[in-house]
Amino acid sequence: MGILTVLWEKWVEFRRDFFKITAAALITPVMYLIIFGLGIQTTSHGEPYLHFLVPGVVAMATMTGSFSAIAQNMSVQRLYEKALDQVMVSPTPLWQFILGQVIGGSLRGMYAGCIILLLTLPISTDLTFNGLSFLIMFLNGTVFSTIALVLSFLAKSYTDAPRYTSYIIMPMSFLCNTFFSTDQMPVGFRQVISFLPLSQSCDMIRKIANGESAGWLGFVILAAYLAIFGFISVMFIYKKKNL
Amino acid sequence: MIEIKDLTKKFGDFTAVDKLSMTIKTGEFFGLLGPNGAGKTTTISMMSTVLLPTSGEIFIDGKKLDRKASAEKRKLSVITQEYSMRQDMTMDEVMEYQGRLYFMSRKEIKQKSEELLEFAGLQEFRKRTVRHLSGGMKRKLMICRALMIEPEILLLDEPTAGMDALSRRQMWNLLRQVNVRNMTIVLTTHYIEEAQALCERVALINRGKLQKLDTPTQLIEDLGAFAVDETSKDGLLSKYFHDRDEAIAYLSQAGPDASFRATTLEDVFVDVAGQKLERK
Repeated sequence: MGILTVLWEKWVEFRRDFFKITAAALITPVMYLIIFGLGIQTTSHGEPYLHFLVPGVVAMATMTGSFSAIAQNMSVQRLYEKALDQVMVSPTPLWQFILGQVIGGSLRGMYAGCIILLLTLPISTDLTFNGLSFLIMFLNGTVFSTIALVLSFLAKSYTDAPRYTSYIIMPMSFLCNTFFSTDQMPVGFRQVISFLPLSQSCDMIRKIANGESAGWLGFVILAAYLAIFGFISVMFIYKKKNL
Repeated sequence: MIEIKDLTKKFGDFTAVDKLSMTIKTGEFFGLLGPNGAGKTTTISMMSTVLLPTSGEIFIDGKKLDRKASAEKRKLSVITQEYSMRQDMTMDEVMEYQGRLYFMSRKEIKQKSEELLEFAGLQEFRKRTVRHLSGGMKRKLMICRALMIEPEILLLDEPTAGMDALSRRQMWNLLRQVNVRNMTIVLTTHYIEEAQALCERVALINRGKLQKLDTPTQLIEDLGAFAVDETSKDGLLSKYFHDRDEAIAYLSQAGPDASFRATTLEDVFVDVAGQKLERK
């Protein structure tokens, strides 16, 4: 019930800000696709670079969409509008509130990812996107929604949200298997990067896109991130003394 | 019944609330009075679980209140000092969100929402977003939102702050009406006449500590029901007397500027806060 309440709130927000949300989800990924995929036409591993790029941009759009939907919104609600107080006082179980945020955030990420997929439809890439791809996109979104929740509970000012984007989302966007393979990275650094959630999502979506098996390790890693950050979010909302 | 036991809240080295203990009876109109920074808002925030205490406990009808206590939280509604609402929601959406958070049916939400917005004179603005409402309208909306769920306990943190005199009086009447329905009301206020007009009992707190707790009449009588004000080189000086004749005798010997009046709750407040006036 509490989950539906949060999803209703997210729907109200989505309906009202539809054009702003859509434009924000579109601009950066489309720029990357145009510049790196269509403008600078190169090949990667004997294939057009666009084939490598599209799965990475889809995963990245999912991450950015989910993260920004929660981080910005929750920081403002908690620190500026104080609207989170309304939830804290209510009898809605707070774990349901967290779960609603995670699902709502992930759906926003899925929306951003799906827009990119729709835009690339006219371009003949022969890439495969199936139910499993969407499941990975959803899982990726849940991971970044929980990370956004944790960071927004730690935020001291509502202006911290854009900083988190600069510190976390921006480096991940460029380093995590999105625009280039992590294979060429120095040993040590490569391993660290490859265990980050976006690297795993990119890798799995790309493998499916190329008709290969996504494997199971990526799911385990994403599930581990989800469990850890989900647990921290729930602990914060129940135990943090000065929320 | 609300029982507060040894409630303490520290922010780093600063103790905002210091071992506060008191009991608020069911259906009582209870006032929390104190100067700025006394710990009133922090106390209300702990009573609504927005803040968790450093130590101490709060019980509602014998059950401990914490963030997991959904059944106890169901009884509570809060009107915070700040406008704690989504700025981008319309009035209708704010009310619906509240109803949903308290598991009300859509039919109930619609019915109560219309009834309360009509009562508050906000019906014609219901499609307007909170961002575009005046301060007074936001305050009224918060009251509608709090009353929508028909709480057993209403926590009010400076509910009339920023309201004009007429709106404040309307608010007082509204609060009296809901209190008649056996709703427990805990009110913090800067307006002492508000506490005197509305509250059955008043707790005076200063620097996080409970200084006095009694009915306004008893608090006034304890200080002395009769006051004589004199102007001295140090400013206005008030002397309090338990006996009327004693006060009049003092007045007759005082200077031409001296005046006689009944002691008010404000005198008690100032006495506790230790500001501006000297006690006899």
